[in-house]
Amino acid sequence: MTTRRGFLRVSAAVAGGLIIAVRRAKGAFEPSAFVRIDPDGTVVICSKQPEIGQGIKTALPMIVAEEMDADWSRVRVEQGDLDPKRYGGQGSGGSDNVTSEWETMREAGAMARVLLIGAAARRWSVPESECTTRDGQVSHTGTGRKLNYGDLAADAAQIKPPAGKPPLKAPADFRLIGTRARVIDAPEIATGKATYGLDVKRDDMLHAVIEKCPVFNGKVKSVDDAETRALAGVRDVIVIDGMENPTHLMPGVAVLADSTWIAMQARKKLKVTWDEGPGASESTGGLRQRAEDVSKGPGKVLAHVGDVDEAIGRAAVKLEAQYEVPFLAHACMEPVNCVADVREDRCEVWGPMQQPGSARALIARRLRIPPANITVHMTRIGGGFGRRLLSDYAVEAAVLSQKARRPVQVVWTREDDFQHDYYRPMGVHFLRAGLDSASKLIAWDHHAITTSRNAYRRDNRGPEATEIYGLYTGNGTGLKEQISSMLLPTLIPNIRARYSELKTTVPTGAWRAPSHNAHGFIIESFLDEVAHAGKRDPIDLRLEFLGSAQDFPFRSEDNPQYDPGRMKTVLELAAEKSGWGRKPPSGIARGIACHFTFGSYAAEVAEVSVDEKNRLRVHRVVVALDCGTVVNRWGVEAQAEGGVLDGLNAALFGEMTIADGRARKSTFSDYRMLRIGEAPDVEVHIVASKERPTGFGEIALPPCAGAVVNAIFAATGKRVRRLPMVTAGFTV
Amino acid sequence: MATTLLTVNGQKHRTDLDPSTPLLWFLRDELSLTGTKFGCGMGMCGACTVHLGGKAVRSCLTPLSAVGSRAVTTIEGLSKDCSHPVQRAWLDEDVAQCGYCQAGQIMTVAALLKTSATESQVIEGLAGNLCRCGTYVRIRKAVRKAMALSRSRT
Repeated sequence: MTTRRGFLRVSAAVAGGLIIAVRRAKGAFEPSAFVRIDPDGTVVICSKQPEIGQGIKTALPMIVAEEMDADWSRVRVEQGDLDPKRYGGQGSGGSDNVTSEWETMREAGAMARVLLIGAAARRWSVPESECTTRDGQVSHTGTGRKLNYGDLAADAAQIKPPAGKPPLKAPADFRLIGTRARVIDAPEIATGKATYGLDVKRDDMLHAVIEKCPVFNGKVKSVDDAETRALAGVRDVIVIDGMENPTHLMPGVAVLADSTWIAMQARKKLKVTWDEGPGASESTGGLRQRAEDVSKGPGKVLAHVGDVDEAIGRAAVKLEAQYEVPFLAHACMEPVNCVADVREDRCEVWGPMQQPGSARALIARRLRIPPANITVHMTRIGGGFGRRLLSDYAVEAAVLSQKARRPVQVVWTREDDFQHDYYRPMGVHFLRAGLDSASKLIAWDHHAITTSRNAYRRDNRGPEATEIYGLYTGNGTGLKEQISSMLLPTLIPNIRARYSELKTTVPTGAWRAPSHNAHGFIIESFLDEVAHAGKRDPIDLRLEFLGSAQDFPFRSEDNPQYDPGRMKTVLELAAEKSGWGRKPPSGIARGIACHFTFGSYAAEVAEVSVDEKNRLRVHRVVVALDCGTVVNRWGVEAQAEGGVLDGLNAALFGEMTIADGRARKSTFSDYRMLRIGEAPDVEVHIVASKERPTGFGEIALPPCAGAVVNAIFAATGKRVRRLPMVTAGFTV
Repeated sequence: MATTLLTVNGQKHRTDLDPSTPLLWFLRDELSLTGTKFGCGMGMCGACTVHLGGKAVRSCLTPLSAVGSRAVTTIEGLSKDCSHPVQRAWLDEDVAQCGYCQAGQIMTVAALLKTSATESQVIEGLAGNLCRCGTYVRIRKAVRKAMALSRSRT
């Protein structure tokens, strides 16, 4: 049964159990949460979003459990399959899973509570108002009688849900939200039982690896597979034609075998002649040179407030700097993989996907089968970082299974993963600034020249659309709303943001905190230069032009609101907790940076030392965060710790060099990663907030590189303007 | 065809696979012991760490022919019920994010706990176990906790 607006559907299902699904009123009926109470009292909550390590499989069920007063120790969480009609939108990207599901998850839990109270009140013949709930039980206030949810499930399923939204708890009454809950799958992870994409087994399954052209966008010209086919255990060699957009499907030669190892060995015997295409001359150095040439031109002016050239002309102190960020690989610990089983016009897919809906859509398009015939199962995911927003590997598995007429698991080797990634765009940025005689920042000019990931996304917006999140602009820019919401308004009186695209054959994609991961470093480092040039405290300088909430009123219902007052709070909290302004321990220097990413605020103070041999140690990073209401404190802290280390990892070592149109690194030895002994202590301080929850998976990353670079300057007087830091001669 | 005999988690197995096949793929593809992870295939990330005769080894670089009579223990065989001190410590400190590397981290620490390694030596021993999520801060706490639990058990 459903109410007119479709808020609720209740049905007695499994033997006396109660199933509650809340539907979204917005647009079509889109149920978005799913709760089942078994007669034994177990509360089974479906988590509909992909779990990439961001902790969503713990956080969303916590919200449901909070509102229904479930006993968290008796909650079991099931991963939902792709079913947007049932659950609403599914996918993890942009750190918005908790934000966007906050109300629907609360309402799902609250409606369960209403019905369970109704069942108990009827059983006892008492008014519902005399009933309370806690830890999986309904209690009667007057008599102290109690009933377990499991005992009430069957009765509750018979009650017609009241119309309208159920009453929600006052945040002051939260008992679970805001606490530290362990990762829900922790016992399975610690015992090796958690199922990742690579762990999926199907009867009769073949294992496939795919050889691809070393030059990006190259195609297969011819294949001599005689030696490969002659090997025992090899079942087939299949040439894959790519789709028009390589992010949908790259061309290659697949070897299908009885085991992964046989497939990997047999692949080495392939003799493929490639049509390398026009990309064979691309190189990192060439791109840098082109950026420098382009920088002499005006670029596309995205926003201009005041008169930057005039203001810099009359400035008492002028600064100019060139910053650079490299291509970055995702290097998820779980290599790219997927299993597909295609039978006639049906397809079943199991894999680590951040965007299961795109996997379905692309498979449908490529295989010409109806999307409704494609079942997508989301496994636990061994790291996403943006790589698995693209679904090329799911299409690969489906294409091969269709040809093989058997289930096929595609596995990318680590070398494949490094060499055929969709890299964080490389960019060269030219900045100028001017201070007046009172050391006030009066002019700021930023020309971002980057390879655009929109070249691969290919939506109808300009190449700058994906590359300017987190850029400073003035108040009242004329930019389109969808872009302006991603920019940071400031009170700098003369400010200009410009963009030029560096066209490239190198595939690019989203990498944790896209665009923010570059601008957090560049803006925060250059601001530090400005502060030093003006002999200003870097925090005071920021506070002067950040303004307040009154200066930048809320612009759009759909986008996060930027409140400079909240940025000020995290800056001051990071300063206080790190001892900013007091003398650091001997040999240690501090740097600070902050950034606004996906609705949340982060400020970080890094403490570093650099010895006479340029050996850099990052000792401690103090993080202050404001991400609104915290659902799982442990989860938010984990993402802050991980975000800092991920940011440091990239800042120290991360760089995919390109030469002759190909990726020049392919293993963890040449693409170096942070090791445990090199990781600083990370202290996380979270601002207490009653605001709506906002993103927490990516926000701690963008300020990290800036904080470290600024601390290096404080320690040595050397300014690092190009990442990774090892290219500036630092060692760890 | 060469036959290899192995003992994995206390159970004896016989296989006719090519003896050059890495132990990793025997465990994963033949025995479906998928807790041991493929991360790089070159011994550079530690995700595939198992115990061979009680010592931590990279199963991706260990051919079946090199196993011999030494007992193989995988994450599935570390305890029946997640009760090993390292597993308990990992839960107590809520170490995992994506969790993919954690079996390898746990196996490395579990092997070192059987030696006289100090805490800092255990951390040094983890230098070859990469974590892309950045759980290192919590791994350090969990190592300390595991050593305490381990001492109190013996």
